[in-house]
Amino acid sequence: MSTPARRRLMRDFKRLQEDPPTGVSGAPTDNNIMIWNAVIFGPHDTPFEDGTFKLTIEFTEEYPNKPPTVRFVSKVFHPNVYADGGICLDILQNRWSPTYDVSAILTSIQSLLSDPNPNSPANSTAAQLYKENRREYEKRVKACVEQSFID
Amino acid sequence: MESVEQDGEQVNRDDLILQQQREIEREISDSTPLVSDQLPLTCLTAEYDGDAVFTAKIQTLASKYKYMRRTRPDGNCFFRAFAYSYLEWLISNKAAYDKFRSIAETSKDKLIQLGFPSFTLEDFHGTFMEVINRVNPHNPGGVEKNQNELHTIFNEQGYSDYVIVYLRLMTSGKLQEDAEFYQHFIEGDMTIEEFRHQEVEPMFKESDHIHIIALSSALGVGVRVEYLDRAEGGTVKAHDFPEGAQPMVFLIYRPGHYDILYPN
Repeated sequence: MSTPARRRLMRDFKRLQEDPPTGVSGAPTDNNIMIWNAVIFGPHDTPFEDGTFKLTIEFTEEYPNKPPTVRFVSKVFHPNVYADGGICLDILQNRWSPTYDVSAILTSIQSLLSDPNPNSPANSTAAQLYKENRREYEKRVKACVEQSFID
Repeated sequence: MESVEQDGEQVNRDDLILQQQREIEREISDSTPLVSDQLPLTCLTAEYDGDAVFTAKIQTLASKYKYMRRTRPDGNCFFRAFAYSYLEWLISNKAAYDKFRSIAETSKDKLIQLGFPSFTLEDFHGTFMEVINRVNPHNPGGVEKNQNELHTIFNEQGYSDYVIVYLRLMTSGKLQEDAEFYQHFIEGDMTIEEFRHQEVEPMFKESDHIHIIALSSALGVGVRVEYLDRAEGGTVKAHDFPEGAQPMVFLIYRPGHYDILYPN
């Protein structure tokens, strides 16, 4: 059945294939356009470099009027990522705009990896280390980068 | 963006809040249509349980307005009420309809120039134009057929909400265009940019004067709002946006909510 959300997700997918942003990819799962798998490659010149981080994106019929639920499946040590993989990012919550598409969502998460916001922590250890002990922070991040090869 | 420690583990509180919010929304959507049929204003009296101030004010309003339409209280009520009321007016004003249609047609390029992403904007603009075309007063069938069509469209969530998204983007574009002027309306130290992204573009965010002024100026549409509140004195205060404009859209505001009015 075609609904506005499904129609729009087909468009999002088409655009992601035709004009893929650097370092991210995503596609609907085989039998359900409302659930996507995605990968974000760790941005260069950050401790996340070389990591391949898997995510799931779950949409509702209210997309794009409401944001999807995005979660890391790979373990990510980051000030704004919860232990369950949930992501604390304003555009996925109170600053969501229907003009964002999957491509914009993934590139925003990619920039969040480079530029954490330690003032709004989802992982207080990561936030504290990021602010007070950058070397230890980078060590913990690199450990999850290595873990991401195995997952 | 809140988190709490629980047994040493960070719990994702956002998810819990979101879940509760969705339940409340479901209750509202099950009990109220997006836009109701025409109702007499006296239907409001019951909500105020015989309160003397409100009862007197409702009487005053009922002498000036023959009907009202309720809109669903989902934070989009101003935009939904505005769009419905204005399109309904255009159905019986062919020249104004033609003018509006061409403003709507060219608005997309203007928004793209202002920096809105064309890929997603096209989707909303396409639906917006489809709705406008479906109630074209030049279509065969006359005013009544168009009114029924309008009512059907606005109670279909997909169409109804896309119209609102597009109007929100037009409002946001106007704020960006005249940022210097609108900055004065913003309380605190939020920038216009932040305000647009946080209070205008997201769906379900309630509207304030600034939204009404920006949208009514962007489209050149006069809006009269009647304020039904607890303020003393039997008179109901009305405000016209933009100031001095001839109103085509009539709304009633009760703290937190807008509905549509039909003048005698």
